[in-house]
Amino acid sequence: MRLHLGTRRPFGSAASNRGTIIAIFVTIGLISIVSIWLSVKVTSGSEHRATTIEVASRQRTLAERYVKEVLLVREGRQADPAYTASVMAASAAALLEGGAAPPVNGDDDGTTLKPAEGSALRNEFAQEARLVGDMTATGEAVLANRPTSGLPQSANEHIGNLDPVQRLRVLAALASNVSLVAARSLTRSDEASIHDLITVQVLLGVGGLLMMIVLASMLLATTRRQSAHFRSLALSSRDLVVVLDQSGCRYVSRSVAAMVGRAEDDLFGNHLAEFIHEQDRPLLASVAATGKPAEFNFRMRNGAGEWRDLEARATDLRADRNLRGVVLHARDTTDRVQLERQLTAQLDRDGFASHLSEALEMADEEDEVLDVIQRATVEISQVTPMELLLSDSSRANLSRAASNPSAEPPGCPVKSPFSCVAVRRGTAVVFDSSEALNACPQLRDRASGPCSAVCVPVSFMGRALGVLHTTGPDGEPLSGEPVNQLTVLAGQAGARIGTVRAFEKTQLQASTDGLTGLVNRRTAEKELRELLKARHLFAVVIADLDKFKQLNDTHGHEAGDRALRLFAQTAKQTLRDNDLIARWGGEEFVIVLPELDRFQAVNVLDRVRHDLAVAHPGETARFTASFGIADSGQADTVEELLNIADGGLYAAKQAGRDRAVVGDESAVKKDTPADSAPETSPPEEEPIVMARKARPPIHEAADEEEPRPSGVQIR
Amino acid sequence: MRFDVANGLRVLVCLWAAALLAFLLAGCGADGSSSAGTVVPVSEADFQINAPTNLRAGEYTLRVSNHGPTEHELIVVRSSSGRLPMRGDGLTVSEEALDSQEAGSLEPGRPGAVRDLRVHLTPGRYVLFCNMEGHYMAGMHSELVVSA
Repeated sequence: MRLHLGTRRPFGSAASNRGTIIAIFVTIGLISIVSIWLSVKVTSGSEHRATTIEVASRQRTLAERYVKEVLLVREGRQADPAYTASVMAASAAALLEGGAAPPVNGDDDGTTLKPAEGSALRNEFAQEARLVGDMTATGEAVLANRPTSGLPQSANEHIGNLDPVQRLRVLAALASNVSLVAARSLTRSDEASIHDLITVQVLLGVGGLLMMIVLASMLLATTRRQSAHFRSLALSSRDLVVVLDQSGCRYVSRSVAAMVGRAEDDLFGNHLAEFIHEQDRPLLASVAATGKPAEFNFRMRNGAGEWRDLEARATDLRADRNLRGVVLHARDTTDRVQLERQLTAQLDRDGFASHLSEALEMADEEDEVLDVIQRATVEISQVTPMELLLSDSSRANLSRAASNPSAEPPGCPVKSPFSCVAVRRGTAVVFDSSEALNACPQLRDRASGPCSAVCVPVSFMGRALGVLHTTGPDGEPLSGEPVNQLTVLAGQAGARIGTVRAFEKTQLQASTDGLTGLVNRRTAEKELRELLKARHLFAVVIADLDKFKQLNDTHGHEAGDRALRLFAQTAKQTLRDNDLIARWGGEEFVIVLPELDRFQAVNVLDRVRHDLAVAHPGETARFTASFGIADSGQADTVEELLNIADGGLYAAKQAGRDRAVVGDESAVKKDTPADSAPETSPPEEEPIVMARKARPPIHEAADEEEPRPSGVQIR
Repeated sequence: MRFDVANGLRVLVCLWAAALLAFLLAGCGADGSSSAGTVVPVSEADFQINAPTNLRAGEYTLRVSNHGPTEHELIVVRSSSGRLPMRGDGLTVSEEALDSQEAGSLEPGRPGAVRDLRVHLTPGRYVLFCNMEGHYMAGMHSELVVSA
């Protein structure tokens, strides 16, 4: 047996426990064997002694009987003292040396005795045998009327002086007395050995008990140390341990009790279920009944009444005799689950954001960008009305550029970016109800009735481009993840639209004429188309330098180039920022004047002519320019517009140059019969070019003072 | 409040040890008799008593040894005549009649036993005898004269 006094090895003491238990069993076994052996020995001896005692006691009766029988026979009565004497003699011999003790007539059965053991007992039985012999001799002498005084006194009795009958009685008394004393001493030795047995048994019992108590206390101490160790382990663990069986909960760890704020005893049976979420109770019942599933999650209410997510692992120990139940190890994963949800949402958002950014990256033109935005709105929500209101290049007007195709557009009536609260504030705004006092005025009186709204401004580099507008049911504005995605969309859309617009502008600037620094013809045409499409008022002017060929011929090409640069520079300085001047080709220019009609344009061009007249630095020869004007009210297509303006230019040349003339749309619509030369009207694919070819080149017609209708001047 | 098993056991062990000690002490109980007076040897055997026949009055301790082979008792009575009254059976002395004269007695003792009997002897005649059935008649008596 080992005692673990120094080191505590709770997992290694099973062997020591086994040793202690074996020692206990060995002690019990040894004590039992010794005890039984002693008892058997004592009682078997005792059984033998009982018969001896019986025979010894019988001798007294027989002695008295013998005296009576002798006296009866002497009186002439019927008796058989000789038989009694023979039985006594045989019994006395058997008591001393062993052998058969004969039966007494009508009294008992014969029995076989062992020889007497021990000198004291043997002396007593020998004395008895002598006394029986003396008694029988005396009895015979009495019956025969012989004198008794001479008879032998073999037992050292001093009875020579007694009369025969008295002598017979004394001898009978002595014989029966010694026999009784022997029987009594036998009984006493029996009692003594039983007393000894009891003593030994008590000693064995007490000793064994003490030993077992020592062993048991050692066992208890070890067990207690072990259980204390495991209890400490269990207590230090924050894991929740529950043992379930068919009747409910049978054990809960202290951590469970601490969590729900009840005593452990109050949770047994069905009481634990009160803290388990109603929807999870069938699951736990199934786990208790079948041990499955091995891993699952459930919800439990803690002491503060909060629902906690628990992740549980079930171990089926119903077959384990020590447990007979299903053990649950559970862990509070609420915080982790929440974090995971946040991370998942973040990932979704990131996924949305990255997909959106990829899609936007591939969209090069604004139309494509708007298409991507439209698709993104579907991804955010299929049912929420959503629209993107964008400002045009003038940044004065807001109009719907995209909307959620799976829902009705919200139809915000806002017209100007500065009327939009979200744009003005530069942050997302949420309106719970259009009926609230502080609701956006644009939300009121919608055809669809009261509503809520979320508006996120779309901007680029701090400049507002527009707003993402969504509506929802009254009192229930869009919330949660969709709003996050909406914010992402607004941010990315703003960045992309801004970038695309900036890129277009850059491209516009890149596609400029190398000599004059003005934008080229293609750019001008595009701008014209957009303006016309937007149905904005604008004027278009075709400008041509007067007598340019002459200038070239007289002063050389360099002088011509200088003249072109000077014209471009002067015109640009005179024009407004959002006016556009492009080199059309040769010495021709196109000027676009937004928000002006053709008559207002005349004034602008007069200023240009004036500035040109005063600006003729050094080497450059003095020169003038002629202008033809049209405005957006005169035609529906760019080609018609240019034809009308061209007509004006032609008229200006004819009228003496250095002037601006408004083109006449009626002349152009009549297929330019007056101005165009009859030989120049071949149908061609490019309407603009064709239109330009429809009249004689201005410089030739005017500069040479002799119009050459069919000539084409190409520089 | 939890029951401390180890402490409980310790108390139990102490109780058991005390009980065991008491038991052993009881087993070897002390015999408190101290001898007083003159020791006088008296020997008994089947069927005679050997004892002094003359003693001076005083305190005596009769050291009675039984030489067997059977058990014997010893009774000391004053008897002026030296003859003792018998019971009706004619086999035993009437101790009832001698009750007031009895100086001392020993119950039957095993052969080989030596026992002390303290007697206060005053001047007069005494008889020492064994009153087991028939023993007196078979000769187990001895006269003692105590002188002043």
